Amino acid sequence: MMSFSMKRATQIVCIFLFSVSILLCHSSTFAATKSSSQSKKRQRVDETTLAEQVDQLIEAELKKSKIQPVKLANDEDFLRRVTFDLAGRKPTTSEVILFGLDSNPEKRKTIINDLLKSEEYAVNWARYWRDVIYLRATNARSRINQNEFEEWMTTQLSENKSWDQIATDLITATGEVRKNGNTALIFAHQGDPAELAAETSRIFLGIQIQCANCHDHPTDKWKRNSFHELAAFFPRVRVRPVRDAMPRSFEVVSVDQGSQYDRRLQMLEDPSPLFKAFDRNRDGKLTETEVKRSRLARNFEQMLSRGDSNADKALTIKEIKNIALPANTRRATPEYLMPDLKDPTSAGKVVHPVLFVGTKAPQGLKDIERRETLSKFLTSKSNPWFARAIVNRLWAEMLGEGFYMPIDDIGPERSAVHPEVLDALADGFTANGYDLKWLCRTITNTRAYQRGMQKKTEGQIHTPFAAQSPTRLRGDQIFTAITQVFGVDDLQANRGGGDRRYRGNRTARGQFSTLFTFDPSTAQDEITGDVPQALFMMNSSTINNLLGTNRNTKLAQIAKEFPNNKDAIQELYLLTLSREPSKTEMKICQDYIQSTDSRNEALEDLMWSLVNSSEFITKR
Amino acid sequence: MSLYHHAHIQTHRQGFSRRSFLRNAALGAMTAGTLSFHDLMSVSAEELRQQGRSMILLWMAGGPSHLETFDPKPKSASAGELKAIQTSVSGIDISENWKNTAKVMQDVALIRSMTNKEGNHQRASYQMHTGYIPSGSVKHPSLGSNIAREIGNRELDIPTIVSVGSTDGAGFLGVDYEPFNVSNPGSIPNNVAATVPKKRYQKRLGLLGRLDSEFAGRGGEVVVKNHSKIYNKASSLVMSPQTKVFDLSQESASLRQEYGDNNFGKGCLLARRLVEAGSTFIEVRSNGWDNHQNISEVITPISKQVDTGMAALIADLKSRGMLERTLVVWMGEFGRTPKINPRAGRDHYPRVFSAAMAGGGVKGGQVIGASTPDGSAVEDRPVTTTDLFASICHSLKVDPKKENMSPLGRPMKIVDGGKVVTELFS
Repeated sequence: MMSFSMKRATQIVCIFLFSVSILLCHSSTFAATKSSSQSKKRQRVDETTLAEQVDQLIEAELKKSKIQPVKLANDEDFLRRVTFDLAGRKPTTSEVILFGLDSNPEKRKTIINDLLKSEEYAVNWARYWRDVIYLRATNARSRINQNEFEEWMTTQLSENKSWDQIATDLITATGEVRKNGNTALIFAHQGDPAELAAETSRIFLGIQIQCANCHDHPTDKWKRNSFHELAAFFPRVRVRPVRDAMPRSFEVVSVDQGSQYDRRLQMLEDPSPLFKAFDRNRDGKLTETEVKRSRLARNFEQMLSRGDSNADKALTIKEIKNIALPANTRRATPEYLMPDLKDPTSAGKVVHPVLFVGTKAPQGLKDIERRETLSKFLTSKSNPWFARAIVNRLWAEMLGEGFYMPIDDIGPERSAVHPEVLDALADGFTANGYDLKWLCRTITNTRAYQRGMQKKTEGQIHTPFAAQSPTRLRGDQIFTAITQVFGVDDLQANRGGGDRRYRGNRTARGQFSTLFTFDPSTAQDEITGDVPQALFMMNSSTINNLLGTNRNTKLAQIAKEFPNNKDAIQELYLLTLSREPSKTEMKICQDYIQSTDSRNEALEDLMWSLVNSSEFITKR
Repeated sequence: MSLYHHAHIQTHRQGFSRRSFLRNAALGAMTAGTLSFHDLMSVSAEELRQQGRSMILLWMAGGPSHLETFDPKPKSASAGELKAIQTSVSGIDISENWKNTAKVMQDVALIRSMTNKEGNHQRASYQMHTGYIPSGSVKHPSLGSNIAREIGNRELDIPTIVSVGSTDGAGFLGVDYEPFNVSNPGSIPNNVAATVPKKRYQKRLGLLGRLDSEFAGRGGEVVVKNHSKIYNKASSLVMSPQTKVFDLSQESASLRQEYGDNNFGKGCLLARRLVEAGSTFIEVRSNGWDNHQNISEVITPISKQVDTGMAALIADLKSRGMLERTLVVWMGEFGRTPKINPRAGRDHYPRVFSAAMAGGGVKGGQVIGASTPDGSAVEDRPVTTTDLFASICHSLKVDPKKENMSPLGRPMKIVDGGKVVTELFS
């Protein structure tokens, strides 16, 4: 199917000669066995075997419904898809051609391994996780350590740290946020126990427990208690500003004893110790002279103005007790207090940490111990949700649809498609020590992943995994693809744009990402793009300056290097969409060039259209 | 089915998602008896779209001091260096920087008893835009997005919801109700002008359409359909003669002068032009109200800018007969401490603060509620965020109890609780 001009062929064959020497390398990253104490069900399987098992399960199910799955995608489509999924970029023109020429029957397996070994794999997925965490942040200032998180996550992924290790590091993080990228999750929610409970459960277990914040879960079995018992792992986490830090920074710390502020609050609630210490004449009243030079002196005037109801310049126990506590302050107690819905102003009742999928922590643990205990519970092999959640998430990200949709709502009362496939993958993933590359390798080696797209006929019912569903590329992937297409390292940032407080927004990638981002936990059918994105692609000077043939641009080169229209069109298709044009497309483009007075102008229009096409921003 | 279902079909690319189907099915089961109510709602919503009501939010980012704006306390210990002046309505005094607004006070209602609990900028801003406290699990739509969804004109080429300066967005209502951001009022917004002549631009669009239909034929039909819907909307904005609404040079020099030759003034003038052209919700932002230091000095120039723009806007709307249908709201995320701090500034203070409203059926020349003599607490008639939001909905004839489904299938009211401040409209 590869027909290309002679000139291209010679170029390519040269590169090809170099690359035939690259050997097929089978990775065996799962060499270090931990223990075989787990059930027989969870035996280590290699990715090829499991991929085959997954396909047999899916295909048997499809056969029962008399559905013929679509055949595997051609090399161009497969290569583009897998390169975006694993490396976050489009394949280059020569990669497309070489891959097509490669006669090795194992070439798909080989390219998957190569891509997983690249640094781009780690960068691509670190950006994915950045979006998972930060797009749900409850405080916008958490963006200040987004870059640090990205760097930290890139390191974890490129070292192929296991998923349980990464989860543990995120949950137990401490220290200054600009120096510790793993504080991302806690910093994104200012250490708030309720938000952390909700997000920990959503991200690591795929269970939306936060509905149980105020009432028993409406559709799952969880009780209101379960949510607050999870929050009880976090009451001693604090996020506080680092004094005099330039640029401004924050740190995640453990507060195992009450803070000074807490002691003040406590003092207002129960002032009797104060009277023991300072009420020298034992008249039941504190006066300014009595508290002089004590720790109360500084605030005494303020206390008087707020509490001295009979204006005698002295405070009784009752008057101090009546001083209104500052509104809306979170009580920083060492134990978690579950709000009383019937009496929202009361302190609430103490709740001790329990993970709702079954495990109770010992009482009175210190902050770090609590969070370590939670991590152990979460990542325990006896907790099936931990593996299911990530398997469902990565599968959905790569195939465009998950076993459960939405991908982060997979609780026990939800129903899945092909649950046996999810279980098989989750068991394999667990048995392989939560190895993320193993999981990516397994998924991309399935026929389910490698199938072609299908034109839907009227009224056809959608069958999951019978054909490839086209999915929207993430902002970072589109940005990278644009730089690749125009042969530039970066794009022009909008100098006036962005938020001056956040360095990320001053870069072209940051600005682009702000415009094109979407929460990666959103279902594909809800990601539609928007008008400002379209306006940017159509009219921005960033893009249009790179399209001109009167400057030294990639397009100007192509116009010069390929005087034959057909060759130029082919080259443009390979460059932008990583494939050759179909006959009809070739005809449309040739006609267009012929109908336009200036060839260069026509080529500009063509490249503009390809970059603005649906296909350019879609994984096919 | 419910109104939500109608809208969903327009919003999402596969008609409706599996998720929304389940959601709607569940909703149907839950509210089987009230479906006709929803149908009724969707009919009357269509009528409301025809009435052309709209709102302009003047947002003072940073938390404007109530004491240096609309609730001065010249005789108390809380007074700063600024004096109070009389307005066109006897008995209502405001801070000396607001001379122009003082002249239109007969059209303005002041609320001096706003009260809230949130003293962090982002969280308070979020709350004062959405009516909800921030939560990691759901992104609430801003009131503007809700209003645009309820009463916005869907056939408009230009955006129904615009923000001069970036703001909180549509949350779970989705991209259709995301505010269109204008960063330099007065000029055509970024990327709206085509870079090639219109004829060539149209030719390009034609080529794009032909190539896209090939991709649709290969299995990308849903993606293509959705993409072309967005591109149609975007290109009709680019091609629309209505984009001249962004060009303020069409207004007389003297009127531009009245609004003020700065971003806020231009933003106000743009807001009026947008309302005239059919937009439903416009937010104009003024920055610099977080005056922790030297408040009397720092607050003066920005107060004068806002004063000029706001007063000109109210007068202009009135002289064009648009004020009755256009609600103008002035507010920020909280007030500032009555006590001046050692750096001559004031710190965050949500316990009591002020808001101002004009037009949209609001009776001007009155003060609602009061703060204590030192401006430290509400003395009379507390007004909460939700009360204010319910009142805004009342003015715009939007049902505040209307529920939209959050992505997790939880029904969320446009305004959760809150009572209309009836005195505003009497």
